[in-house]
Amino acid sequence: MILNDVDGFTFDFTDAINAFVFDEKDKSKPTYHGAPMKAVDIVVELDAAYLFIEIKDFNDPETYNINAPADGEDLKKISNSFKWLKNYLKYKYRDSYLYRHAEQKVDKPIHYLCLLSFDNALNNVMQKVLKNELPIGKASPRWQTKLAESCQVLNIDKWNQAFPNWPVHKIA
Amino acid sequence: MLDKIKFERFTAFEKLEISFSQGINIFVGKNGTGKTHILKAAYAACDITKSKEGFAEKINNVFYPSGKQIGRLVKRSSTSNKGYVELTRTSDNKPISIRLSMSNHTTKPDKATVSGATKLWVDSPMETAYIPVKDMMANAPGFRSLYEEREIHFEEIYVDIIRKSFLPLLKGPADKQRKKLLERLQKAMDGKVIAKNEEFFLRNKQGELEFTLLAEGFRKLGLLWVLIQNGTLLNGSALFWDEPETNLNPQLMQSVVAILLELQRMGVQIFLTTHDYVILKEFDLQSQSNDNIKYHSLFRNEESAEIDMASTSDFSNISPNAIDETFGNLINREIEKSMGGLGK
Repeated sequence: MILNDVDGFTFDFTDAINAFVFDEKDKSKPTYHGAPMKAVDIVVELDAAYLFIEIKDFNDPETYNINAPADGEDLKKISNSFKWLKNYLKYKYRDSYLYRHAEQKVDKPIHYLCLLSFDNALNNVMQKVLKNELPIGKASPRWQTKLAESCQVLNIDKWNQAFPNWPVHKIA
Repeated sequence: MLDKIKFERFTAFEKLEISFSQGINIFVGKNGTGKTHILKAAYAACDITKSKEGFAEKINNVFYPSGKQIGRLVKRSSTSNKGYVELTRTSDNKPISIRLSMSNHTTKPDKATVSGATKLWVDSPMETAYIPVKDMMANAPGFRSLYEEREIHFEEIYVDIIRKSFLPLLKGPADKQRKKLLERLQKAMDGKVIAKNEEFFLRNKQGELEFTLLAEGFRKLGLLWVLIQNGTLLNGSALFWDEPETNLNPQLMQSVVAILLELQRMGVQIFLTTHDYVILKEFDLQSQSNDNIKYHSLFRNEESAEIDMASTSDFSNISPNAIDETFGNLINREIEKSMGGLGK
């Protein structure tokens, strides 16, 4: 199933039952989102799981690079940008989960995939923080179900390497 | 200034040629891709211009093959083999080269062949220093005499760095640039280095602290301080530094990179190897447009299984980037663990 030009990327989910733009703004489409909530870019349904996919292609990834050495005002700026992005990704997931819950479409484990233009080192840090804050797994012994099964933060090279059945291309 | 190094069937390399930056050369790559070998060979060629030692002898002492059989530096193969290492530099606006060739049956350095502009090469001296991964400042007392009197199993780089750090001060006051660098180092390590009876101490307001009691990271800064103060690192010198990050706190790295960039601006040619993300990022963040930095990425070619290299002046184009791949590997394992075979 091919999705053309989602935020400048083309995806092919070769083994998907369904894949659609989740934050659809076109009212004429049956997948129109239409609720005052944040929304991830793509939802994919597989046999045994759902994928929530969010794409962020930054011109200047260094603005967020909390791995890079910095101090004083610079460090503060970078930390704030990183925190902003982390919250942005977190709340997009949670709102999307609620929306899908209302649709009664949270019957399979959900994997959250964030396609960012960072290096592996920075993606690794973002993944670690997101995992804790989404949160992944059952956050309380009272929970009967997980909000999210897993969360991966990858760049396009890593994506294509890890998921050969879901190739992605950046539209030039 | 060194312009180029060429290897053919030498140690780990089947065939490799590297054009150096006149400023800073940063070698990245996984273990076993020959980063340190490049530094050692280039250092040996620079050092003989001062020590007047033979090139073959110096290479043999710096690499220290088993039994000091120089032929063991030829790349291993099942048949008889010949190999060489060749360095090129510019002297009086002309390129001059020196080449050491030998076969795997060559036992002694005097049986190896040194060719090229050998006389011209040693007649134009250049200052040089090689900082090994392991600190030697704390082991300085008696080490030089031990090395000279006994056959001890140490590559010569270890005694060389002690020799260089004991060199007396240059005549006359230090120039402005050097003073600035020394002050920066003093601030980072909180003191100055003094030597007494072959023993180094860090002197500050609290008193004198012997190097054996000093954190290893500070000893490295101390060594840099000494090399700048005694004029080993001046315009036209070459500095070789194997993994500067070892034992250095990431916060000190900022000062170290600032100093290396400043040394380069003063005309010191620098060669370093690293496995560290922070040090690479520091160079990326602190360098200015007129700085001359080349990143050399060493890797094993998948088809030939030989060591290959890709050079770039642009940090974002380092490829393959063994340091970022380490983080990439963590991502792979996380995906494998939490998503199993999905998407594959």
